[in-house]
Amino acid sequence: MPNLFTLVLQITVILAVCRVAGSLFRKFHQPRVVGEMFAGVLLGPSLMGWIAPQFSAYLFPPSSLGFLNALSQIGVVVFMFLVGLGINPKELKKHGHAAVLTSHVSITAPFVLAAFLSFYLYPKLSDDSVTFISLALFLGAAMSVTAFPVLARILQERDWLGSRLGTVAIASAAVDDVTGWCILAYIVVLTRAAHSASPMYLTIGGIIGFALLMIYGVQRLLLGFEKSYREKGGLSENAMALMLLLVLCAALCTEWLGLHLLFGAFLMGAIMPKEHHFVRYVLDRFETITVTLLLPLFFAFTGLRTNIGLVKGQEMWMYCGLIVLVATVGKLGGSTIAARLTTMPLREAAGLGTLMNTRGLMELVILDIGLDIKVISPALFSMMVLMALITTFMATPLLDVICPDRLVWEGTERALKWQKPAVPQLDLDATGGSAA
Amino acid sequence: MTSTAKRFAVSYVFLVFLPVLGLLGVLRQGRSLKAPMSVDGQWKLQFDPAQLAALPCGKALASVEEPVLAISQSGERFTMTTSGGLATASSGVIQDTTLNASLQPSESTGHESGCDRQLTLTAKLDPTANPKSLSGMLSSKDCLACAPVQFRAVREAQAEHSQVKHGAGGR
Repeated sequence: MPNLFTLVLQITVILAVCRVAGSLFRKFHQPRVVGEMFAGVLLGPSLMGWIAPQFSAYLFPPSSLGFLNALSQIGVVVFMFLVGLGINPKELKKHGHAAVLTSHVSITAPFVLAAFLSFYLYPKLSDDSVTFISLALFLGAAMSVTAFPVLARILQERDWLGSRLGTVAIASAAVDDVTGWCILAYIVVLTRAAHSASPMYLTIGGIIGFALLMIYGVQRLLLGFEKSYREKGGLSENAMALMLLLVLCAALCTEWLGLHLLFGAFLMGAIMPKEHHFVRYVLDRFETITVTLLLPLFFAFTGLRTNIGLVKGQEMWMYCGLIVLVATVGKLGGSTIAARLTTMPLREAAGLGTLMNTRGLMELVILDIGLDIKVISPALFSMMVLMALITTFMATPLLDVICPDRLVWEGTERALKWQKPAVPQLDLDATGGSAA
Repeated sequence: MTSTAKRFAVSYVFLVFLPVLGLLGVLRQGRSLKAPMSVDGQWKLQFDPAQLAALPCGKALASVEEPVLAISQSGERFTMTTSGGLATASSGVIQDTTLNASLQPSESTGHESGCDRQLTLTAKLDPTANPKSLSGMLSSKDCLACAPVQFRAVREAQAEHSQVKHGAGGR
């Protein structure tokens, strides 16, 4: 049984620290979520466990962490559903060559560079229980991901959602995330199959069968939610409960099939109806509790697993620097070059590259899975968390310098007619109501 | 084909297709790379408790019924903790099949007399054994009168999912 006093105390401290850090970061024009990610690291062994080990051991005794983890994972399951809900693969078609090329290059460039980097890091930061291919593919997937919700938040704050830059960024990020999760699914299956009694073809067959059932069967049934919303102007409590049940069932199915809870939740979100008002309505219902209560627990849990003390000595900091450099060159550089080749002006293209380089929360979710299935070591995990924090943090100041508002709208007027995106996005700065 | 479409096709070949081919090449080449042997996980310790109790700081560990050594590995480096709270912030290096680590006494054992001394762990991994096993010795460099304590450790079956090891960044 969990020690309720400890659990409630943990939640109280986590929420307080996350809110304060989030507000501080807002003062520096950073999305609140960046501050909350930092807060998580501060609560872990990297700071609190280092300067106040006794208080840290009192607040987060190892025996209590299972309950905190369970709560945080429920939050991430709902979060992944909301991320999937905000993704509309059809958006990509609207933006033609620029989005197709940018999204594909922003995956391949970091992926290839990460594979080269794995060549160097595998003998230094991994062990023989992990194959080179697993590590290279995992680092590739982790470096090619874009923080879809953080990106949407930055665009919203700058009022760039309707600009050419904004629409291409949203479409490219959607493709990146879907591709990244597919590759991650492959790695998880590969790794888990090595320890599983059931043959791999059964796992893969089961997952493909499940995905087809969801896309061609369940998706049609989900239209009932949108129909009900249109007729009544909202969804009943029963309908919302049913939606949540479906998310949890999908999550359980993918976990049972040998994948991971999060894939089912993400897929359920991705196949939901994409009508603008319906999506906004569902996001509003779920995001307050998810963003304000459950996600901070995930940040804290991730922070407890991040030990910057493991990045010790010149050599380890050099590896960390290399990881940040490769991730940035691959994502920012790759996206910029691709966008430039589609005739986007250089500074606007660099702005797109900067937006694509934000990894944020999505990166932490992927890294957590990597640490769970032991594809990455604790030191590599800590370096990758630092990379996620740095690349997300750098987005706002970089955009201020290289891509002012004037340039974005001049480019848009030349290239596209003004249009609003069809799908609203999860508001990671939710303060109790919709800010969108 | 319009010039824009041509430009798109050429860019796509150079920026997507060719890098993907390069990626396949890297993945193929990387198969021959060797990483340090895995020692990550929980190891059941076996030693003579009387011998260990004679070592500085050894009493706490010697009194534990089923002592366990938990190793959290990151490539060639690892951190370790023992179930008796013998050491804190212990770190070491694995080279081929040899493990070398220094153990700092923890606060709980610090009150033992002479427990401010650092202990050294040297062990050899037997990778062919199933489950893997370690054999080596614990010694105190600063204590010439203390005889090194021999030990053996057998790796416990690894759980697929990890739990956080507080303060060790463990997996």
